[in-house]
Amino acid sequence: MSVTNVISEIKKDFIYNLLLKGERIDGRTFDQYREISIQRDVIRKAEGSALVKMGSSQVLVGVKMQPGEPFPDTPNKGVIITNAELVPLASPSFEPGPPNEVGIELARVVDRGVRESKAVDLEKLCIVPGKQVWIIFIDVHILDDCGNILDAASLGAIAALLSTKVPAARFGLGEDYVLPIRDIPIATTAIEFNDVLMFDPGVDEEAIANTRLTIISTAQGNICGSQKSGAGMLKPEQIYRIIDIACEKAREIREKFLEA
Amino acid sequence: MDRKVVVPGDLLSEEAKRSGEGTYVKNGGVYSLLYGLANFRDKINVIPLAGKYIPGPGDNVIGVVKDITFSNWIVDINSPYDGLLHISEFPIRIESDEMSKYLRIGSSIMTRVADVDPTMKVELTLNDKKLGQIKAGQVIEISHTRVPRLIGKGGSMISMLKKEVNCNIFVGQNGRIWIHGGTEDMDLALKTITLIEKEAHTNGLTDRIVGFLKKEKGARS
Amino acid sequence: MDETDISFFKDGLRLDGRRADQLRPVKIEVGVLARADGSCYIEMGGNKVIAAVYGPREVHPRHLQEATRAIVRYRYNMASFSVEDRKRPGPDRRSQELSKVSREALEPVILTSFFPRSVIDVFIEVLQADAGTRTAGINAAAVALADAGIPMKSMISSCAAGKVADTIILDPMKEEDNFGQADLPIAMTPSGDITLLQMDGDLTRDEFQRAVEMAMKGAKDIYELQRGALVKKYSQMVEQPVREDVHVCD
Repeated sequence: MSVTNVISEIKKDFIYNLLLKGERIDGRTFDQYREISIQRDVIRKAEGSALVKMGSSQVLVGVKMQPGEPFPDTPNKGVIITNAELVPLASPSFEPGPPNEVGIELARVVDRGVRESKAVDLEKLCIVPGKQVWIIFIDVHILDDCGNILDAASLGAIAALLSTKVPAARFGLGEDYVLPIRDIPIATTAIEFNDVLMFDPGVDEEAIANTRLTIISTAQGNICGSQKSGAGMLKPEQIYRIIDIACEKAREIREKFLEA
Repeated sequence: MDRKVVVPGDLLSEEAKRSGEGTYVKNGGVYSLLYGLANFRDKINVIPLAGKYIPGPGDNVIGVVKDITFSNWIVDINSPYDGLLHISEFPIRIESDEMSKYLRIGSSIMTRVADVDPTMKVELTLNDKKLGQIKAGQVIEISHTRVPRLIGKGGSMISMLKKEVNCNIFVGQNGRIWIHGGTEDMDLALKTITLIEKEAHTNGLTDRIVGFLKKEKGARS
Repeated sequence: MDETDISFFKDGLRLDGRRADQLRPVKIEVGVLARADGSCYIEMGGNKVIAAVYGPREVHPRHLQEATRAIVRYRYNMASFSVEDRKRPGPDRRSQELSKVSREALEPVILTSFFPRSVIDVFIEVLQADAGTRTAGINAAAVALADAGIPMKSMISSCAAGKVADTIILDPMKEEDNFGQADLPIAMTPSGDITLLQMDGDLTRDEFQRAVEMAMKGAKDIYELQRGALVKKYSQMVEQPVREDVHVCD
């Protein structure tokens, strides 16, 4: 949710009136996603990359890898570090500076999807046990916030990982090889407004909604992450309804774009 | 050729006296200040393809009250500059502590720009029968650059629209438009305005809008 | 690897097959972002840079505003994945210096007096870096400013010259920049007024002049590409009525 996206009273009323008639501003149905496109390998210098467009939202995710020290409590496991830059170029409400709570939340939810689905086998990223492992940096760079950048970022992360080549040669660790990925977690987000649930919210829809729920599901249809965001409330029935649609949407997106 | 796409710095003419809006004069030549369409008439004007709404005196605008001070309502007019509605420009005489009773934060008003000073202090007025608080109907926001097309040459497009949809329509130069009429009529008006905004730059728009309105009204009955 | 290991020229051609006075391929797309008021995506060789303009808009914090004109802000930023070794996010001293001189390259032509008490924000994101990101940024910024409808006396175009193997070259690529003998970026108006000039390395006064002249010619060629991209975007524009002086209301 864009934290300081101020929407004029005029636009708010306009959207609200449409909602009462069962319509969305762009004519979509309530569970319909905008047009999605994914371009992989767009940044040569990165080990993996993907540019995701969801409607007019645009998110670029780059994956960089380098050898480094493991965390002391997991001496034989590789490390994943996920960061999101909500750069001021992408929205009039993004300010320059280190990530604020919105950016941090976005990065951590994207990370959750990758980590909890075990898409990357961290033990396979061990180079010298206890001393050297592969560090994977997933860097989300928002280019155009037209709503639901979380789903776009999450999709970008897994798409970038799927196209990542481990740069072993550069560090004298053998030949480059494709990073093995074991699952394809997909995040799907719905907002709730006046008891109406809307998936893939546009930027104006986000600005009027109190509550947002993101569900991250795996290729098996299990849930590996979820996040309720915003200062509103959800009833359990609403949550289960969202989960049903979310998993179905995730399956559609996974099949259409990311299965080989 | 009387229209041409130009970029900032393009030389438009060697006759300095033909310099119009969106141009400047240097060494006797007229140059474009903007990326837009240059219109070559007696005066050469360049109409930008984008840009913020900058209020000018006499503009009708629709604003939303965003703050109230001792003697002014501060009004958002969809511009880098806020409008100031002084208590004396309210149609009836009221006291300072009554201001929020009449127009509170969030109230929408149909207003006019009375004056703009060199520091871009924008003064609004409600002292006119046709202006006032919006209490019913709907307001739509379009890009302010499309407003001339919505109004049309000599007001032709907007007059036709008002008649065909049977609605009151107040067009703000800042891209905000108020519509009031029956529910179905307002719907049609909104749909039509959205279509005009989308296709503002194309040829033969007036005929297409007339056709669209005919079709929609025919489908209704 | 140091400069003595690289042979910069082979049969009169550079490492990437260019002649000494040749630009790398350039691609310019106008209006690529929906939220920004104006935007431009540019590729110059391996550089991938995107520029966005917001403004004129209200200045926050208010004390920064100027009563008689708009202030211009320019923020150059590199994405973490834009370079070979992942870069920590956030501004460093280099990006702050680049931001300042780039802003000063564009300010001279922007008619800030048209918009008192406001700010024109220019944001540059380097998505992939390959020597010459600052010139790519300025080129994209100028197009984005035009796309946003900001009034300017003229466009600004930017290009760099360098010296490798005692030869003045145009638009250095990464190895030429890292291991060459000099780097000289400029920015200018199409009529040749210089708004940015930086240099590091070792040049005689004659070489300096030749480098400037070569960079200026490169900038002029880039201007044609900027202009072409802007005109092409609206080449189908036809009927656009002029603003009426009649205000219609009911």
